[in-house]
Amino acid sequence: MAAEQTTILRTRGLVRQYGPHAGVLGVDLEVPRGSVYGLVGPNGAGKTTLLGLLTGLRRPDSGSIELDVERRHIGLVPDVPEFERWLTASEVVTLSASLVGTSASDARVADELARVGLADVADRRVGGFSRGMTQRLSLAAASVVDPELVLLDEPSSALDPGGRAAVLDLIAEWAQRATVILSSHILADVQRVADVVGILRAGELVYQGRVQTLLDRYLQPTWQVRVRGDAHALRARLEAADWVEGCDELGPGRLRVRSRTVEDGERGIVAAAAGVDARVLSIQPEEADLEAAFLMLTRAEQAGSTQEAP
Amino acid sequence: MNVVRLEWLRLWRTYRLLVLLVVFAFFGLLGPLTAAYLPEIVGLATQSEGLEAAVDLPEPVPTDGIVQYIGNISQLGLIVVAAIAAQALAIDFTPGLAAFYRTRQPSPRSWLVPRGAATTLAAGAAWTLGLLAAVYETVLLIGPLPPGATVLGWALWVVYLGFAVAVVALCAALARSKVAVIALSVGLLLAIALVGVVPQIGDWLPSHLVGAPAALVAQDATGSDFVAAAVVTVVATGAALLGAIHLMGRREL
Repeated sequence: MAAEQTTILRTRGLVRQYGPHAGVLGVDLEVPRGSVYGLVGPNGAGKTTLLGLLTGLRRPDSGSIELDVERRHIGLVPDVPEFERWLTASEVVTLSASLVGTSASDARVADELARVGLADVADRRVGGFSRGMTQRLSLAAASVVDPELVLLDEPSSALDPGGRAAVLDLIAEWAQRATVILSSHILADVQRVADVVGILRAGELVYQGRVQTLLDRYLQPTWQVRVRGDAHALRARLEAADWVEGCDELGPGRLRVRSRTVEDGERGIVAAAAGVDARVLSIQPEEADLEAAFLMLTRAEQAGSTQEAP
Repeated sequence: MNVVRLEWLRLWRTYRLLVLLVVFAFFGLLGPLTAAYLPEIVGLATQSEGLEAAVDLPEPVPTDGIVQYIGNISQLGLIVVAAIAAQALAIDFTPGLAAFYRTRQPSPRSWLVPRGAATTLAAGAAWTLGLLAAVYETVLLIGPLPPGATVLGWALWVVYLGFAVAVVALCAALARSKVAVIALSVGLLLAIALVGVVPQIGDWLPSHLVGAPAALVAQDATGSDFVAAAVVTVVATGAALLGAIHLMGRREL
């Protein structure tokens, strides 16, 4: 029997209002333990406010936050991290551990800095660090406390592509031993690492659930099919099928097929090709990305929030 | 990294301790020097202005050296202390840094008390250095000072410095920028000193301690004259710190 996934963090009707449409307006967040939860939304949607409420840096007007973890085991990586400019990078990491009542050996500190690519500047004062370096240091400072829950607010916004990839690797590593809430507007990053996603729009959670479910629900699965033989017959057969939403001929022997569901397309295209005189050369799914689903969802007029059990 | 090392590094690497020591030592050396040579200085000034009128100044006495020192540091010295205390205590105006501390140590007491204590110790060390310089030069140039009264005056000023730092902590919880914290703190200390001009009230206020070293070495007052003010100052220091902790605990980032 599969183990039941517990919830590490749950909010009920969480409200923090800065104006009629600003802040967080009745958010019911549910974060499964051990998951990577992607928190996405346009600028001003309330992501940073929500993280502030979850870390206790802000107080809600109403609603509740249930945490199944001690506050000192929560790590926050803010969007613009800052440290004492006169401390060295290794001193910052050491301080981070000591502030929560633990100690980190020199080897551990060196290891954390190496993981974020700061080994060479471990003894340099952080006042001279670039924003990207400070952001990496913030990740090391969060990691050294062995957090059970990590909240990352735009952790890769100041990083180059190499830095972004390193951060995503680190998040994947964290996911082995902690729960991660990743707030980001770089949806490709979220799609790469998140299992569950929550979409905020104007302070409201308009979707919460599995990333794949979101993609399946809000994006029409589309394939490009290349055949040798009678492509017209295949097209006619596909258009007659009730699961096909549309079929266009892109060129000789090339079709684009839009199906009702992913499963319908995966089963139906091959079956349809077998029924006519056409040999399938390739069936290539068009990429279904979170960004497209996000745009579909946020543009749509939503009457209420769309949630599924994570 | 323990809190003692952290606060030591804060004072040392930011040059705050050095600034405090230099400022207080400078005034400690300057005070007795100006007191001892005031007749010559005034004489030179009147000559250079072509004035014929003779200025009859009394012979300097040892108290004058201490009075000069206190006069300087009770203004400029306190502003420097307020500025340095504000740098250490007002962390909420650097949001990323505040998030670093507040998410790891939710109670402001955890960082406010050690930072306040370290700043008070540094200010106390600077005050001590300045006083030692002033006493040494006074003895050398003018004459001896009563040791007991000098030590008592030193101790009462340390109590006052603790109060001044606690006032900065309270202002850090009330104001919205570091500059405002410094201005509000200095304004508040000045306001207390102005209220202290009223005789019936003045003897009970912390500002009464500012003039204690001079009054004690001049033997115009005894230790018992400052007991009430010292008790009020200690209580006010505690109240200001508790107020700061309470207000900072309620503050959001």
